[in-house]
Order: sequence, then C-alpha cells, then structure tokens
Amino acid sequence: MIIISPYAKKLISGKQNPKNYPFWRELIALIDEPIIQIGIEGEEQLVPDFRKNLPLAELMLLLKECRTWVSCDSFFQHLAWSEGKPGIVLWSVSDPLIFGHPENINLLKSRNNLAKNQFLWWEFVPHDAETFVFPTIVLEKLACG
Amino acid sequence: MAKILCSVATRGRYFTTLPLVLNAIINQTRLPDKLIIFDDNDDPQDMRKEMLYTYFFQILDIKGIQWEWLFADKKGQHHIHQRANSMGFEWVWRVDDDAIPEPSVLERLFSYTALNIGAIGGSILTPPIPRISASTGRITDIDIENNIQWGEIRAQKEVEHLHCSFLYRAGVHDYNLGLSRVAHREETLFTYGLFRKGYKLLVVPNANTWHFRNHEGGIRSETKEELYHHDEQIFRNVLKFKDKTVVVLNGGLGDHIVFSKILPEIKNPELFTCYPEVVPGKSIAEAQHLFGDIDQWNVYKKMDLWKWKDSLENAYRKLYL
Repeated sequence: MIIISPYAKKLISGKQNPKNYPFWRELIALIDEPIIQIGIEGEEQLVPDFRKNLPLAELMLLLKECRTWVSCDSFFQHLAWSEGKPGIVLWSVSDPLIFGHPENINLLKSRNNLAKNQFLWWEFVPHDAETFVFPTIVLEKLACG
Repeated sequence: MAKILCSVATRGRYFTTLPLVLNAIINQTRLPDKLIIFDDNDDPQDMRKEMLYTYFFQILDIKGIQWEWLFADKKGQHHIHQRANSMGFEWVWRVDDDAIPEPSVLERLFSYTALNIGAIGGSILTPPIPRISASTGRITDIDIENNIQWGEIRAQKEVEHLHCSFLYRAGVHDYNLGLSRVAHREETLFTYGLFRKGYKLLVVPNANTWHFRNHEGGIRSETKEELYHHDEQIFRNVLKFKDKTVVVLNGGLGDHIVFSKILPEIKNPELFTCYPEVVPGKSIAEAQHLFGDIDQWNVYKKMDLWKWKDSLENAYRKLYL
C-alpha cells in the first residue's frame, strides 16, 4: 500500500499552491498497488480510499503499514521523516536542501525553478506545472523503493 | 576594515542639542563610514535651508563621510534603531540627540571590537557626576544600583546591559518592536539580548559622552503612563524568563515536527506553540502578551536575514542552541 499526500496548505488568496503536484491523476493511473489518499475536507478526491482529517496518531499508524509514500512539500514529508519512514517528495519552487530531508527521494526538476526568496509566503509565487517532474520519473523511483 | 554606521534618532531638538551632537560626530578621531540622521519630528523640516546644517553637510562631504537624512515613521526609536541595525553595516554607533561624545569616543569604543564582542559603551555623564564604582552592570542588579555608565568608568568591565549611546554589532539581534512608541527599556532589552546570545558587552574607560538631559524634545517625549507600564511589563517578563530558553513556534505543522527533533537539545525550554499535540506549550497569544514582539523567534525571518542555505532543522539549532 502506498500513501499519497497530494496537497500543500491552501493559500489565503484561493490560488493554487505552487507546491501542489499537477500530474496526480496521470501518476495514479500508472501505479499498480493500493493507494490511500490522506488530506483534509475540501481537497479533491483522487482515489477511492480518501481519509480526511486524520489525527497525527492515525497518520503515524498508516505510515507504519504502508510500503512507501508520495507527497508534495507539505507537513507530511516531515511527519514521515520524523517517524523514520522514507518516501518520495515532489518538489517545484521550494528548496529540498532547506525544507527536505536527505533520507527521502527528493524529486526536483531543476534548481532553476526555485523561488528566489524561499522564506516569504507562497501566495506570491505562481503555480507552474512545468516546474514538476513527470509521472514516469516518479514511477521509476517508486519501483526502486 | 569594518564598516561603521553612526545613527542619530532625533525629535524636537533641531536647534538645541542636535547641532552639538553632529559637531561632535564630525570631529571624531575615528570617523564613521556613514551617518544617518533619523528625523522623527512631528513637523519635519528641510534642514538644508539652515545655515548651520548647510555647513555640517558640507563638512561631512569634505571629510568623506556618507550621510543621509531620513524621515522616520513616528513609531518610536526602537523602529529607527532596527532600521539602522539591518542596513548591512558590521557595527552601528548609536548616538542620542542630546548625548555629545568627546572626540575619541568612537576610536576608543572601536578599539575593543573583536569576534566575541557584542557592544561597547563608555561613560554617559551628566553633571554633577555621581560616584558609582560599586555598580556591577548585571541585569539582576538593575533595580538596586545606578547604571554603571552614569559614572566615570576607570577600567574595562564586562556587563550585561548598556544604556543610551554605544557601539554594537549589527544584524545579530533584533530590537523588540513590540514595545510601545516610548520604547522604554529598549536599549536595555536590546543589549541584554546580545549578551544572552553569548556576546560580551563591555564598558570601557576614556570614552566619555556628555548627556545634556533636556526636558524639551527628545525621541521619548511622551508622557502616557500606560505606555511606560506596557514596556516595563515586557521588560519584567523577559527578566522572569531569563534562565529559560524561550521558544515561540508561530509556524506550520511541518515546522513544529522539524523543531521537535531539536527540542531535547534545548536547555530549560519555555515553549509557546500553535500545535501543542506536536510540541506541548502555551499559546502564541500568551507569548505576544508577555514579550510584545515575537518576530525575534520567527525562523523564516531569521533564515531570510541569514541568507540561509542549510536545513530548517539547523536553522532552529542556530536560533535556539
């Protein structure tokens, strides 16, 4: 079983968070094993098993049970790191050298896409699908894991 | 050679003590690299039209001292000092607009700068000079002794806070912007913060500044009792927690999780958090009430300031360990 954590925190402006991976449906179509989506109420459901608003204790239990996980740059990658469960993080504009953990597979298409200032609100950074790696690359790493 | 900014915050003293202060700065044996006058007057004037100031500005040009006259935003002198503190200079010599330094003060203060030094002050004298050789300069003695700088300093001494005018290492500690516009205790809180960060504070001999205490004008010309009370309360709360490492986590869930890894390394922590289920602590609102400004614990602001390239985890280490 694989956990996916598709969405970063919603922006106040209502715009799409530039850290949100745009190719989840394509990626999910390529994965041939059970997937559990975790997130919160109001987020788009991508797989039949969508578990919303789970307390941290339950997320930790799920982490113990899963083979691995895939997440955008959100709290979930930190939680999994804290629990000692490595997985895959899909990066775009935030810097994995600052906000990531070397224990994970950090997939960043290019450092040229990183936001110039990493420490401001993401409200002012536009979402750009071109800044993310393609699902086939994610799948290759999933197969290795 | 280290770059020194001289900052003068002024209000209501265009034609009383400010010209004396500027004259004293111009005639230092070690000149600052730049002088900025932060004008916080209610009715600011263009001083280029005044003969006295015209000469000052010309002399600054002749002596090769860059200078600027900036209009401040009337939020209090702590906001002015924080602007100076974050302008990219290595040292800032802050001089009050009624404090007239003797010609060798900056040279003397600067001669004590070193990697482990946070700030250096000399005597701040108002005649008649009191005899206060017994003062310790410790923060715990602040209520029971005269400030050590009010008397003649005969030998170099390490202290825990400084007063009025001094030379300080810029960009390593922030002024508390949570204070009211009277900014009562601002320099005590600031210099004690440098001390808490592990830098030494020195008072040194033969660096006299004459303080022409002037009841008219002044950057603190504000009489509302409640503002002083508000600032005093913040100061007392800082003292109350002085033996603790205050941690304020006003961030996201992920930030709390990353921070939780370094928590065991922190000595005697007092925690204020948004996610007590991850890092148990008191509320952020309580931290704001106790300490005024909680931006001093904003790790994102710090990483921006430090031009940080390392991990978030190590940024927390730098902030708290």
